[in-house]
Amino acid sequence: MLGTSLKAQTVSVSGTNWTVSIPAITEAGSDYAGTYASATNQSILNVGLPALLGSVKVYVHYEPNPIWNSSLVLSAKRTNNGTTLCVGCSISGGTAYQTVTQTALELFRISTILSVTSYTGINIQYQLSGVSVTIPAATYNSKIVFTVSN
Amino acid sequence: MIVKEHIIGLILCMITGTLYSQTLIAVTLPVVTLLDVEPTGTITLNFTAPTEAGQALTAPAANTTKWINYTSAIASGGLTRRITASINQVIPGVNIGIQAAAASGAGGGTLGTSSGLVILSTTAATIITGIGGAFTGTGANNGHRLTISLSVNTYANLSARTNTPVVITYTITE
Repeated sequence: MLGTSLKAQTVSVSGTNWTVSIPAITEAGSDYAGTYASATNQSILNVGLPALLGSVKVYVHYEPNPIWNSSLVLSAKRTNNGTTLCVGCSISGGTAYQTVTQTALELFRISTILSVTSYTGINIQYQLSGVSVTIPAATYNSKIVFTVSN
Repeated sequence: MIVKEHIIGLILCMITGTLYSQTLIAVTLPVVTLLDVEPTGTITLNFTAPTEAGQALTAPAANTTKWINYTSAIASGGLTRRITASINQVIPGVNIGIQAAAASGAGGGTLGTSSGLVILSTTAATIITGIGGAFTGTGANNGHRLTISLSVNTYANLSARTNTPVVITYTITE
């Protein structure tokens, strides 16, 4: 009994990295459209949960890698509930775009019962806004980091 | 009862840590340099002949229908842009002047500054300076309104002529 209860929470990400495709400006005087969205399943999270009566929170933040511009605003949202075998578990929050900052903020949470379980196939969509010619021309990269904690 | 308390204690120890995973996002913003004059089409400026001996030519009213639109994206620390203008031919005795107004309309960013009234020649002259990362908005009523004027500079060099097309060329450059 102790053996099955001691498994800690885990989170893993699959899917593909997102290289934002920005159409070229073709008319003098125009700016970029400004807001771009990724595929609805750009990242796919699998969250493993320990035997816990309560909730586990999934946080998200970004890290410049190595250069990012603060005028570029990243957002993320959950586009499905994923799947689980746990009958009494539930997933909530994160279904509307939430700004991703360099400080970890809760994206969604999973409420569990006293049973080891997992949620798989939780799809994450990203949005990039603030794109403008007023931002210095360069290539910007960031890492989106998911953390899970009770 | 004692066994149950121990089990809960072990579980709480295992869930206080944080684990993470990550994905990457990349975006490339290229250097952009676009210039346009709106609306399209030619303008006509005609001197009016005097009706009384001894009077001077009457210069035409300046044309203010043209607007310069541009989009400019530069690298960090890159040189600002400027806009020059030149004409394909000089009309003897006549000055062709151009003046860009301050930017107005729907634009944003580091918009350029007018160089004031410039008399055009076949050598490019700067009419707007200091353009950074910026966009003016498109079409008339966005960007820098142009005032294009004619004046006599030397009566002795004037000669009668009809329909003399003059092409003004605008260039955005560093």
